Amino acid sequence: MRRSQIIFSSLLSMILLLGMGSLQAQDLAEGKSLFRTNCQSCHNANMKAKMTGPALGGVEERWADYPEDLYRWIRNSQALVAEGNPRAVEIYNEYNGSVMTAFPNLTDENISNILAYIDDIYVNGVPVVGQVAGGGAVVEKETSNWVYFGLFGLLGVLAIVLARVISNLNYMVQLKEGNAPAERKTLLESLTSKSVVGFVLFGLIVLAGYFTVNNAISLGRQQGYAPEQPIAFSHETHAGLNQIECQYCHDGARRSKHSVIPAANTCMNCHKAIKVGSKHGTAEITKIFASVGYDPNTDLYIDDIENIGRDSLENIYKEWITDNYLLAEELSALDQTGEELVSEQWDNLVASLTNETKDKIYGPIEWARIHHLPDHVYFNHAQHVTVGEIECQTCHGPVEEMEVLAQHSPLSMGWCINCHRETEVQFKDNEYYASYTKYHDEIANGSRKAVTVEDIGGLECQKCHY
Amino acid sequence: MKTTKETIWIGEEDLTRDEQFLQNAQKETSLPGATDLAVENNLSSNRRDFLKYLGFGVGAAAMASCEIPVKRAIPYVVKPDTIVPGVATYYATTFVHGADVLPVTVKTREGRPIKIEGNSLSSFSRGGTSARAQASVLDLYDIDRLREPMSKATDGWAAADWSDIDKNVSTALKSARNAVLLTPTIMSPSALKLISDMSAKFNLKHVQYDAISSAAMLDANEESFGERVIPDYHFDKADVIVSFGADFLGTWISPVEFAADYADRRKVKDLKNPNLSRHFQVETGMSLSGSNADHRAVIKPSQMGSAIAYVYNKVAGGSAPTGSLSDNAKKVLDAAAKNLRGASGHSIVISDSNNKAEQMLINGINAVLGNYGKTMGFAHASLQRKGSDKELRAFLRDMQAGNVDMLITWGANPAYNIPEAAAFVEAASKVKTKVALAYKKDETTLLADHIAPIHHNLESWGDVEAKKGMLSTIQPTISPLFETRQAEESLMTWAGMVSDETPDYHTYVKMNWKSTAFAGQSQFASFDTFWNYVLQDGVFETSGGAEASFGGNAASYGSRVTKPSAGLEIDFIEKVALGDGSYANNPWLQEMPDPVTRCSWGNYLAVPVSFDGNRNFEGFQGVEHDSEIVEIGFGENSITTPCIKQFGQAKDTMSIALGYGRGAGGTCSKGIGVDLYPQLPVDSEGYTQYYSTEVDWKGSTKRKEKWYSSVQYHHTMGVTAPEGETGEIINADEQAIATLPVKGFQGSLVDRSIIRRAHADDLHDFTHDLQHEREHHQYLNAAGLYPGHDDLYNQGHHWGMHVDLNACTGCGACTVACMAENNVPVVGKKEVARHHEMTWLRIDRYYYGDVENPSVVYQPMMCQHCDNAPCENVCPVNATNHSSEGLNQMAYNRCVGTRYCANNCPYKVRRFNWLDYTTADTWPDNEPELVQGTGLEFGADDLTRMVLNPDVTVRSRGVIEKCSFCAQRLQEGKLTAKKEGRKLRDADVKTACQTACPTGAITFGDRNNPDGELMTKFASPLNYIALEEVNVQSSVQYSARINNKDKSLEA
Repeated sequence: MRRSQIIFSSLLSMILLLGMGSLQAQDLAEGKSLFRTNCQSCHNANMKAKMTGPALGGVEERWADYPEDLYRWIRNSQALVAEGNPRAVEIYNEYNGSVMTAFPNLTDENISNILAYIDDIYVNGVPVVGQVAGGGAVVEKETSNWVYFGLFGLLGVLAIVLARVISNLNYMVQLKEGNAPAERKTLLESLTSKSVVGFVLFGLIVLAGYFTVNNAISLGRQQGYAPEQPIAFSHETHAGLNQIECQYCHDGARRSKHSVIPAANTCMNCHKAIKVGSKHGTAEITKIFASVGYDPNTDLYIDDIENIGRDSLENIYKEWITDNYLLAEELSALDQTGEELVSEQWDNLVASLTNETKDKIYGPIEWARIHHLPDHVYFNHAQHVTVGEIECQTCHGPVEEMEVLAQHSPLSMGWCINCHRETEVQFKDNEYYASYTKYHDEIANGSRKAVTVEDIGGLECQKCHY
Repeated sequence: MKTTKETIWIGEEDLTRDEQFLQNAQKETSLPGATDLAVENNLSSNRRDFLKYLGFGVGAAAMASCEIPVKRAIPYVVKPDTIVPGVATYYATTFVHGADVLPVTVKTREGRPIKIEGNSLSSFSRGGTSARAQASVLDLYDIDRLREPMSKATDGWAAADWSDIDKNVSTALKSARNAVLLTPTIMSPSALKLISDMSAKFNLKHVQYDAISSAAMLDANEESFGERVIPDYHFDKADVIVSFGADFLGTWISPVEFAADYADRRKVKDLKNPNLSRHFQVETGMSLSGSNADHRAVIKPSQMGSAIAYVYNKVAGGSAPTGSLSDNAKKVLDAAAKNLRGASGHSIVISDSNNKAEQMLINGINAVLGNYGKTMGFAHASLQRKGSDKELRAFLRDMQAGNVDMLITWGANPAYNIPEAAAFVEAASKVKTKVALAYKKDETTLLADHIAPIHHNLESWGDVEAKKGMLSTIQPTISPLFETRQAEESLMTWAGMVSDETPDYHTYVKMNWKSTAFAGQSQFASFDTFWNYVLQDGVFETSGGAEASFGGNAASYGSRVTKPSAGLEIDFIEKVALGDGSYANNPWLQEMPDPVTRCSWGNYLAVPVSFDGNRNFEGFQGVEHDSEIVEIGFGENSITTPCIKQFGQAKDTMSIALGYGRGAGGTCSKGIGVDLYPQLPVDSEGYTQYYSTEVDWKGSTKRKEKWYSSVQYHHTMGVTAPEGETGEIINADEQAIATLPVKGFQGSLVDRSIIRRAHADDLHDFTHDLQHEREHHQYLNAAGLYPGHDDLYNQGHHWGMHVDLNACTGCGACTVACMAENNVPVVGKKEVARHHEMTWLRIDRYYYGDVENPSVVYQPMMCQHCDNAPCENVCPVNATNHSSEGLNQMAYNRCVGTRYCANNCPYKVRRFNWLDYTTADTWPDNEPELVQGTGLEFGADDLTRMVLNPDVTVRSRGVIEKCSFCAQRLQEGKLTAKKEGRKLRDADVKTACQTACPTGAITFGDRNNPDGELMTKFASPLNYIALEEVNVQSSVQYSARINNKDKSLEA
């Protein structure tokens, strides 16, 4: 379903791109990038909803009376307000005198590209992201075991046939030698003979042992584990598309053993402004508001949130979901679909934020933990991130491409050890390592190229187990 | 070589080659206490359970591989700025428990206090801690603490609302004609102000008393100096110290402060001129101070007055009667007096006597010697004892006469810890309203009408003035865990002192500081800045008060000292760990062995041993064995208690500790020991006396205590025995003795380099001999087991430790700190009796010298991290191995529990988890009871588990563990240095025992850092390595114990 959508929309956009011509396409690309860097922090990227600034869709129409002034407004809005341009004054007052950032460096061409991009999004909607990632997904080759089963069956049949042949030959030999009364073993008898049963038992024990050991080793390992989370948080959107630095949210990684799952108030740093998501609309971001007790209708934190009733909260968040639905659908009253959507989103919110031990909506978001080390293992993020200067992706994989986060590495001891064998220590610039005099001497005289973690004791038990 | 080869022994059987002991020693399993291991396994699980669990385990494993159970990761909603999950935050506060006080810093993880450290900014504690302070963090998570306010109902106790209690109590307070607030010593200026404000408003009287009282001393000082305080002692300035019974290193007034000063003059800083102080202790049983002394005069407790008078006469030329002192005692007292006369202005004479006349004589001696203003001062006079026995007795009389209509007890427990406890309980019915501000349901709390549960110290706001001008603050390190309320805030509420201006006690404290300390300083202009600064430091010190001079007439008291009596006497003592009994519910302190008797979980009656001059000792009154249960009578009453034969105990005397036999107050203290408070006499002046002459010996029951939890003969190292066939003396240990065909048991430690000691005057010869001996040992050590490691040791880090036996007083703070830091489990009395204690760090106590009145050396013993470790190469699964930094590593998850390593360890420092002490594994039936019959499994409940250090693995059953040199701290210290891109400093890596030590006896560091403190210490020629001759290349060096005995007494 999803793949066909992707293919369809990529085809559509290709046709559109071809139709518009290559020049236009370049403009759109530049417009997109300029919009991202300059506008997106205050204007909604869907061009339809308000954020800090107004929704930009149809902006040229609104400025149709003063086409030249739109460009001047973008470069320096305050000058235009000072001049008394009616449109400028109107917007200025509408937004309670908040001042739009001036962009004096944007050329006319830049601005027209941005406007083209805005118009494109407004008319055609937000393109489905991840075309490259989606298109790049290799169709997994279906490895089939049937060949082996077939082969195995064939060999089995062959064995039985051969057994029969031997049995027959034996019978013939006995007849010939006159050893009466010669009896021929039935098929059942040969199959239940001691040697066959013994062989089968032996095989089963070996197999059972093999599977037991393998399963025991992988017990508790969960590479590829990608559980459903209470909020459909997308690392792809945040770390990939929006290029947010990993350690902006996971701020423990540089200074603590834990990378730290960000507190909901960290989310609010941005989502106080970005209140409606590009993919899920109000469905997911409202959960953050509910968990921190934020009223998106009034932009205020709810007083006495600990004691407020479920009904009041329901009113607040349903109102918010409804308003946004009406705005998006350009309706004045809820229709059937809308009502279903509102109650569905609310029910989902309640289900996500509560569980058997937490009956309040307000309170921490209980994420499903993905990376989990046993209690007898000590791992420190700061050691690896700050001192070792290891990229997050080295262990966590291409998180910026993960719509749903999954455990990338096995997190097994063998995996740790291998990395410690191969990874070089950031030896040169860190005064701490000066005490490794022998290695420094060896590097100086050329007999050593680098110092691995293993060389400074990185494989010793008590580096991680104490 | 004479000084290093004298006999050193650890116990009586060992010294006398007791027949029974020798026989027992043939088999490890018949060593005292170990016998029951095979008989009774103490578990309710069996082989069938094992199979069930095994089957279940396989099934569960198969299930687990299909579906992963969802684990939750729960972040903050709004993350506090000060908390980074995974990084510890430290807060400065003050430990206060009764009259014990210590400025400390508290390590918290994710808002949860887990460890107490010293506060080095305090000139009072200088960063040291005590066992009691270390253990206080566990009290916070005491499962017996009160969780909500309660009122007495018709059928027992009912949970109450704070508002109801507040209404009832404040009504009662308003209408009270004679209300009494009963507390131990209170050192908080703000609390005292609050109480005096309350007293002005209501008919409320504040009575302070200390269970172990110093009232006579305070009264004597009031008469001598016009102030009811204790002088500020400077043991570091004293050349001669004479203590009459005061255990100033263990329990008396301010042991952490005193020990630091004392050790300063016991460390050998200059070999040519050691300049050590000389310490005389006059006492009955061997105390911690006595065991550290150069000379002990052993007297009966009733002779204390005579002994003081004797020295007073010699020093001040008085003629006080001196009774009948023994010749031996007189000899030591003569020497003490002579030494004192030679050290005018450089000596200290102290006494714990609760007799005013005796304390006046002490003041007289110090005045004659000119010590005031030199070794003793009043500018920073100590306020750590304020209790008045007279006021307590007056209050009791009032109460019995029905004149007290309201009683508020706060931290005081008169239904247990006063001699008149029974009378108090009886008179309590005459008091209309009884309110208890209490932490636990103790004996007194049970009598109350209303219980107002109080915060733990670590949940409270407050301040302390332990010594004049030495203020420290108390700030909360965790939100209150339960429905409790700070005691001061309850008082404020009842007194109607909660207003807009002072809505809570926190504001009250701040206001008080604003008008006092802030007003008196000029460094800060804004109070908020000042307050933040003070809170951050935890301490604020000013120049204190005025000096005072002696204005009393000691001579007139000469004839009023106690007259000695004849016959049997008993001395009541305070234990280093358990104090007056208010610490009794703390399992860390219960399990900490007494430094001298080496007994845990109980108060054993110490009885003297007598010596016939021919290597034969006789037990007291027919006592044959330690742990034999004897009966002693006090008038009509009698008690039975197990006893131990104690070296250095005066003839015809016994000693026993107070603070046991609790009737209420917690699961852990229940049924442990016997209560002696009712046997304390009160003298004619109203002072509680801590000895009794009215005691009869009713004889031994010839029964032994079932679980004799003495660690005396546990983990004995350096045991030698003659090999059966050749008779050659070989190195043996408990296991070897059990299996080798040895004949007889030679006794321990002879000829082994475990303890090295000398006299301060002989250092030149001693160091020469020691060097010679070590050279011989090192000749054996030419080859290492791991040649490849040498290269590694020469770069990076090579950890090492130095222990100065001169600074170690044996106080045990390090052992409790180690338990707290490393999640070492408490095992309970029965398990200790079976040699199963888990302590990673033990303090061995060795005797030497005069067999009846020996000297003592304490030796902290932990894993020595041998570079030629014999434990490593016997492990079949390589669970213990060596790191490139010289650490002897232990990988718990690899250990399969063969215990070969423990058998092969010459230092006996490896511990095996016989049972699931921490409930770390999944078989609940394997968990032992901590206290028999209570069902209490220590560490099994979530509340107690909050104290666990999250950086250290909690070990499960069946694995060996041992000292890791605090590997988690080393890793953290290294990481800090790496992150900051600088070299490792000494301050980055400090072990828990090192930071806990009040005297700086332990130094840890990197042997590859030539400028570090460790290498400076390692350079001393006094150092030796324990068992160096066995070629294990230990990483720990000990500095030989140097005494400063008066040689004229030695002759």
